[in-house]
Amino acid sequence: MHRFANPARFLRIAKPLTPALFWPGLVLTLVACIWGIFFTPTERLMGDTVKIIFVHVPAAWLGMGGWTGIAIASIVQLVWRHPLAGVSARAIAVPGATFAAICLITGSIWGRPTWGTWWVWDGRLTSMLVLFFLYLGYIALSNASSDKGDTSRVAAVFGIIGAINIPIINRSVIWWESQHQKASITLSGSSIDSAYLVPLFVAVAGFSLLFSALVLMRMRAALAEMRIEVRMRRMAED
Amino acid sequence: MPHAPFIIASFAVAGVGMTWLIVSSYLSMRRAEGFAAKLKDRP
Amino acid sequence: MKPKHQRLLLAAIAVVALVGAGLIAASALREEASYFYTPTTLASANVPPGKAIRLGGMVQKGSIVHGADGVSITFTVQDQERSQKVAYRGITPDLFVEGSGVVADGRLGADRVFVADSLLAKHDENYVPKELADIDMNAAAHTKDTLVP
Repeated sequence: MHRFANPARFLRIAKPLTPALFWPGLVLTLVACIWGIFFTPTERLMGDTVKIIFVHVPAAWLGMGGWTGIAIASIVQLVWRHPLAGVSARAIAVPGATFAAICLITGSIWGRPTWGTWWVWDGRLTSMLVLFFLYLGYIALSNASSDKGDTSRVAAVFGIIGAINIPIINRSVIWWESQHQKASITLSGSSIDSAYLVPLFVAVAGFSLLFSALVLMRMRAALAEMRIEVRMRRMAED
Repeated sequence: MPHAPFIIASFAVAGVGMTWLIVSSYLSMRRAEGFAAKLKDRP
Repeated sequence: MKPKHQRLLLAAIAVVALVGAGLIAASALREEASYFYTPTTLASANVPPGKAIRLGGMVQKGSIVHGADGVSITFTVQDQERSQKVAYRGITPDLFVEGSGVVADGRLGADRVFVADSLLAKHDENYVPKELADIDMNAAAHTKDTLVP
């Protein structure tokens, strides 16, 4: 476990990995968007608005995946005291919040022509909005806390507690009658025609690679700032 | 209801959000790593 | 026990307790957090006429009847077991079609007909290209032709 705990060793891997994730991610995302906008057929009921799926669904999955990552990293931070775990959890927060926001806004835009409304307070939409506010709370908490000591543990505990919302979002359309439709893609298969499903998975792959690259960038920035802080303190002491 | 404005708006929102994320993350990384390297070189 | 294992045990207990609490809360909210009644839950819920509620379900095939004034319609909302008659005056959403989902805001009348103030279309989880759907329908029509001479 602690083999990757050494920040110097992490940076040796992260530095070449960042562009190796970023560029394929960007290419796949652009390919998926162009494919989705120009080369997918009209849907039987929704018409052309079906194309919004190519940004809405990847953003939703990564918004939820981001918090899952925060929760796992927070457990690792609290249990194993892994020095990089807290850094990675905090690096996920802003990208995760942005993807959750993209999911909410594109969903709202999609809702108007398909459902006839921008917003309803059903289980799925409400729990997704809660996720966005949890992200805001986490960002405020982790900004207020220093990197060391008890304060960053408060953010970690918040990250773990907030994870209870993730299965709620996932199950909301099954537990409760909702305006949002039930899941199209489950472990047992998909009810999305392959004309949409293939570019959707390209988009998910592209968004995921970009997300990973963003997290690495933010981790590198945080580690560099920690080095600066140590250096400055030492210079002040001299 | 015309669909084009809704599709364009959705992709624009996603594009603006992701561009902001990429640019801000990259710049903060460059700035921090550059400054850290400069401090290290200083005796 | 090493402190690391102690922390691991504590974290595991905390996570299990948290998931348990969440599941209990969610199942307790089963009724309250539902966004609408289905015809079946409405039948057993004993909702008084005139109380503002939401009704959701499938628009029964062949049930939409347009009124003489051109803006009022009646249709039947159904789920697996029951159905409920709905009356509505106004513009219907683009995706309001027979065999598709709908969520209606309104109230039960004294005659047990649901009077809707507004309609929202509800998309199902299937995404099918229009051409494919048309082909399916044509194929269905053809088989019917050959089967029924």
